[in-house]
Amino acid sequence: MIVRRTVGWLDERFGTNALLHVALKKIYPDHWSFYLGEFALYFFLVLVGTGVWLTFAFDAGAQNAYGSVLALAARNHPIGYEIRQIHHWAAVCFVAAILVHMSRIFFTGAFRRPRELNWMVGVTMLLLASFTGFTGYSLPNDGLSGTGLRIAYSVALSIPLIGRWAAGVFAGGDDFPGPQLTTHLYTLHVYFLPVTIGALIALHLGLLVYQKHTQFVRDPNRVVGRRFWPDYALRTVAALGATLAVLALLATFFEINPVGDYGPYRPWIVMNGAVPDWYAAFLEGALRLGPATEIRIAGHPIPPVFWPGLVLPSVTFLFLLLWPFIEARLTGDRAPHDVLEKPTQVPLRVGVGAALIFEGLLLTIAAGDDQTAATLHVRLDTLVWLYRSALLLGPIVVGLLAARIAMDVRARAAEGAEPPPDAVMLVRNAHGGYEEEEPQAG
Amino acid sequence: MIVAIFLTLTIAGALGATLAAAFGAPPSALGGALAVAFIGLAGAAGAAASALRARDDLTEPRAPHGPTHPRPLPADVTRPVFGRMWFAALGAFAVLGLVPLVSLARKPGRQARTGWGPGVRLVDENNQPIPHDRLVDGGIETVFPQGAAELPEAPAVLIRGDDGGYRAFSKICTHAGCPVALYRRASHQLICPCHQSIFDVEDGAKNISGPAPRPLPALALDTDGEGYLIARGDFDGPVGPDDWDRVL
Repeated sequence: MIVRRTVGWLDERFGTNALLHVALKKIYPDHWSFYLGEFALYFFLVLVGTGVWLTFAFDAGAQNAYGSVLALAARNHPIGYEIRQIHHWAAVCFVAAILVHMSRIFFTGAFRRPRELNWMVGVTMLLLASFTGFTGYSLPNDGLSGTGLRIAYSVALSIPLIGRWAAGVFAGGDDFPGPQLTTHLYTLHVYFLPVTIGALIALHLGLLVYQKHTQFVRDPNRVVGRRFWPDYALRTVAALGATLAVLALLATFFEINPVGDYGPYRPWIVMNGAVPDWYAAFLEGALRLGPATEIRIAGHPIPPVFWPGLVLPSVTFLFLLLWPFIEARLTGDRAPHDVLEKPTQVPLRVGVGAALIFEGLLLTIAAGDDQTAATLHVRLDTLVWLYRSALLLGPIVVGLLAARIAMDVRARAAEGAEPPPDAVMLVRNAHGGYEEEEPQAG
Repeated sequence: MIVAIFLTLTIAGALGATLAAAFGAPPSALGGALAVAFIGLAGAAGAAASALRARDDLTEPRAPHGPTHPRPLPADVTRPVFGRMWFAALGAFAVLGLVPLVSLARKPGRQARTGWGPGVRLVDENNQPIPHDRLVDGGIETVFPQGAAELPEAPAVLIRGDDGGYRAFSKICTHAGCPVALYRRASHQLICPCHQSIFDVEDGAKNISGPAPRPLPALALDTDGEGYLIARGDFDGPVGPDDWDRVL
C-alpha cells in the first residue's frame, strides 16, 4: 500500500512508471558465473556501509590512529569488532571477487568488441580496489602495515628523476614517515578512491544494461533469460544474502589483521614472517626475487626496487587493460560478439590466461619464500633461483601446455559433433547468422 | 512455506543480533546471529526464485551492430564549431592544471642527518647509554645516537662478535628501508625479514644474498672515559635505499 502510493506519487511528478515498466521487464540471461561480478558489487556496498561507521570511530591523526583502532576493535567492544572484521574481510574478498569475475570475462571472451571499454573500466577498478585495500590496511599505523608503507615509500623513491618528489608528495615530508602520511592515506582511502570506484561501478553497470549482457549461445540475435522482476530480483537478493552471510561467518570465527598483536609502528622493529594482504603479496614476492643490481646513469642510481616494485605491476596492468585490442590484433577477429565462447574454444586465450595466473601465483608464493625454505629444509638461495627460473620459463611452458590441452579438448568436441555423411554443416558466422559450410572433398 | 521458515530465521537473527549488541554479548553471539539472519535472507530469496524455475525463458532482441547514423551532427552544421584555437585553449588549461599538482611536491630533500658523529654515545631503546660490557659474545642490541634517537636514519644494530669485538651497522636495509632485524649468530649474518637480504657481519656487512644492492653502512666505535660505547664518526656510507638524486 505504502509502496504503491509512493510509486504513484513519483509517477505523477516525474513520469517514472514507464521507465520502471521497462526496467522491471528487462531480460537478463542466467548462468552461475554471471553472479561473480555481483558478489564484487555487494562486497563494495558492505565496504561503504561499514566504512562510514569506521570513520566515526577512528582517529586519523598519526599519534592516535593505532590506539583508536585498538579501542574500537577490541573483543570487548563487540559492535566495533564485528564491523571492523567485516570491513577487512569484505576488502580482501572484494579484490578476490573482482579477479574471479575478471577471469570469467577473460576466458569466455566477453570483453570482445563491442565491450572493450567496459573491460577497461573493470581492470581500472581492480587497480583502484587494490589501492583502496592497501591504503585502508595501512591506516592503523601498526607494526605490520607501517613496514609495508616503508617499502611503498622506497618504491616511490626509486622512480628515476622524480623519485624524491613522488615520495615527498606521498609521505608529506622529507623522510619516512612524513608528518602527513596518515592524513594522506585517510583522504585517499575514505574519499578519493571509493568515490572513484563508485562512479566507475555506475559506468560499468550502465554500459552493461545498455549493451545487454552476453550469454552462451541460445539465439545470437536475442537475449534469452528471465525478467528482472520477479525472477532476477529474487536471485540477486539471494546473492546479496549469501555475500553477507559469508562475511558474517568469516568476521566472527576467523580473526583477520589482529593489529593488537602487531604493536604500533616503530621504524626499527619488524615482525618475522611479515606479509601483506593477499592481493599485494605478488609485489612482495617480486621484490624478493628481484635483482640486487643498482643501475647508474651518469652517476644517478636506479635502485633495484624500481623494476619489481613499479615496472612489473605497471606493465601487467597495461597488458590487462589493453588485452581486448591485443587479442583482436593477434586473432584478426574485429567483429562484434554478443555470444560467449567456451574457454577451450580459443587456445591462445587459454595459454595467455594460464601464463598470467601462473606468474601471479608464483610471485605470491615467493612472498613466503623464507618460510617455505625453512619448512622444506632447502637453502633460501636455492629456492630464490628456482623461483627466478620458473618466473622466466614457467609462463612459456604453462602457456603452451594449457593451449595444447585446449586444442585437444576443442578437437575432441568437434569429433563428437561430426555430422552424418549427407548432412549439411551449419556454421555460425561472426555476425550471428548461419552459413552452410562447403562439404569437404573425400 | 519454506520461504516463510527462512524469513522467520532472518527476523530471529536480526532481532537476536540487536539484543546481543544491546546486552554486550561477545562477538561470537552477535556475529552468529547476524550470520543466521543473512543465511535466512539468502535461503528465502533462493527458495522463492527456484519456485519460479518452471516458468519459460523469455527473450528480448539485441540491437544490431554497426553504424547507427552516417553523420552525428545536424545537417545545417557544416563547418567545425570548435576549431584549433579552442583545443589550444583546452591545452593551456591542462598546463595550468599541473600547477596545483606540482605545488604539492615537497622540497626534494632527504635529511642526510643520521645523528651520529664523533663522540656520540650509543643509547638503547630506553635512552640509556651502553656500557662496554653490556653484551655477551654473539649478543645483539638496537642502538640510537644519544639525543637524536628519533631521526629516521639513526637506528643501528650493535653486535658483539664471538671474538668479543663490537661492530655496529645501520639497521635500515639498503634495499627497501626495512629494519634489518634478524641475526643468525652461527653464520654471523644479519637478515632483513622483509625481502631476505643477507649481510655478513664479519665482512663489513657485505650484501651476500638477496636483493639489497649495497652493504649496510658501518659505524666505527670506541669507548669513552666512563666506559660507555661511543661512535667515532658517522656511518661510512649513505643510509637506506638510494634514489635518483643521491649521486655517489
